[in-house]
Amino acid sequence: MPKDEERGRVRIAIAQVSTKIGDVESNREKHIRYIEMARKEGADLVVFPELSLTGYLMKDVAYEVPKRCRKALEEIKEACREIYAVIGFVEEVRPGIIRNAAAILGEGEVKCISPKFYLPTYGLFEEARYFMPGDPLKDVKVVHGRFGAFGTLICEDLWHPEPAEALTRLGAELLVCIASSPLRGLNTPVDGRPWIDHAWSSLINATALTNSVYVVFVNRAGPEDEEFFWGGSRVVGPEGIELLRCRGMAEDFRTCDIDLTENARARRFSSFRIHLREFHKILSKI
Amino acid sequence: MTVKVALPIGELKIDAEKVVEYLCARLREYIFDYAGKRGGVLGLSGGIDSTTTAYLAARALGAENVFCYILPTSVTPQSDITLAQSVIERLGIPRGNYDLINIDDVVNALTDKVKSENRVIKGNIAARVRMIILHAQAAKHNCLVLGTSDKSELTIGYFTKYGDAGVDVMPIADLYKTQVRQLARHLGVPEEIIIKPPSPALWADQTAESELGMSYELLDSIIYLRFDAWLSEEEVAARLGISTETVERVVKMVKQTQHKRLPPEVFRLSRRAHGSDWRYPREWR
Repeated sequence: MPKDEERGRVRIAIAQVSTKIGDVESNREKHIRYIEMARKEGADLVVFPELSLTGYLMKDVAYEVPKRCRKALEEIKEACREIYAVIGFVEEVRPGIIRNAAAILGEGEVKCISPKFYLPTYGLFEEARYFMPGDPLKDVKVVHGRFGAFGTLICEDLWHPEPAEALTRLGAELLVCIASSPLRGLNTPVDGRPWIDHAWSSLINATALTNSVYVVFVNRAGPEDEEFFWGGSRVVGPEGIELLRCRGMAEDFRTCDIDLTENARARRFSSFRIHLREFHKILSKI
Repeated sequence: MTVKVALPIGELKIDAEKVVEYLCARLREYIFDYAGKRGGVLGLSGGIDSTTTAYLAARALGAENVFCYILPTSVTPQSDITLAQSVIERLGIPRGNYDLINIDDVVNALTDKVKSENRVIKGNIAARVRMIILHAQAAKHNCLVLGTSDKSELTIGYFTKYGDAGVDVMPIADLYKTQVRQLARHLGVPEEIIIKPPSPALWADQTAESELGMSYELLDSIIYLRFDAWLSEEEVAARLGISTETVERVVKMVKQTQHKRLPPEVFRLSRRAHGSDWRYPREWR
């Protein structure tokens, strides 16, 4: 346990990596390298992007990676005795039923598996074709690590308010959002940044603000077929202020020191304490 | 000399610097890392699309890794050949990386074999002969063939199937013609090439805009509003102050040429066939 004066202080490492589609074994080696790098930097937690073990646009390859992912996680967890890691992979829940999930490794174990709830299926996205969504009643999980409590969201989950709100109200002091967000709108940027960066900035900052909670966003960087993942990973504090931003359009590795006790301070100037359940009753009847 | 080309609609204005940086990075990654090749081969016509692609390739891959071929027939204007040669010189493409190959003999021999005087058939043969030569040069120099199609022409099917579209990668095919002009200016392409009326030069005096019956400014605006912004044909017409028939004519070109943008159809027999059942990434390990 940390000493009292150190309580809440956390060093986050962001592994904004590129991944090879379907090449779980080479991706595993890259994860182990970055975990070791983060550990040497004294990080408490290292976060990888969505589907970091497998690549994102796998299409039918998705059916053939779960066993290899499971094996890779068993090997990677050995590197996670002194550090926690959030890793994206394909989970087989029952024979032939797969989910887009995050594995939270720590203390030398697989501490938790959190599946994605909202599966984008529009434009280039075809996740509902392959994956089963997580069940909010079973799969909203807060992990209690040595440094504090945190919860994981996967990409599209942040485009809806409920998963972040549920995790925060269940006690998460840090929301970790892992993503594979493909570039859109580079040719007509606004204030020098592509449209997709603005969209994500709004979502990340609003999530941090409305829940008075730290948000770590980790996006892929690099190409996958025609698509290109634009990076731009970041840490945003509970007052909606950006504390660290990785570079855009390329791989990056950064660490950021945060103090989770800031959440409580931020809540003195927010209405986070009020939660009107009646709104959810209305929503449940629509 | 700078001639102002009016933009059709504000939405088509691009940040050329960002686009160049991105496309160069993608070209490098695709050719060197993904394909493991030395560089790129392309056909230079003296027009804006192939010139812009050559400028991008030289910037991304280095002039020493770009191979340019001028492949004229008897209907190619001498002025186009001269412009293409000036591009090779300006880019510093080294000797041995370029050639001028007249393809009349091959095109005529093939045209004789099919016994047709139809200029479209002959023009398509010329486009396909160029494709064959470029792929042979690519194999010889351990390169990929760079396509020079833009988004306007790709969208309305204004290209030869397995001809100029028979390439390995299309670096500028997500940019409309009016956007390619902006990119060309940023890259320093000679103004003469930018303002020259676009033409496939498949027969004498052919120009794209006279064949299409409208300017690229209008064509790009129609395609953008109908397909990027999802407006209805009536809404597009109202926004641009043109007739619905004009919009319909463009949409018809897009629909009728859909087959040119897709792999050939495979009639289903088995339980899993190439096409809709066969879904794998290009980068497949």
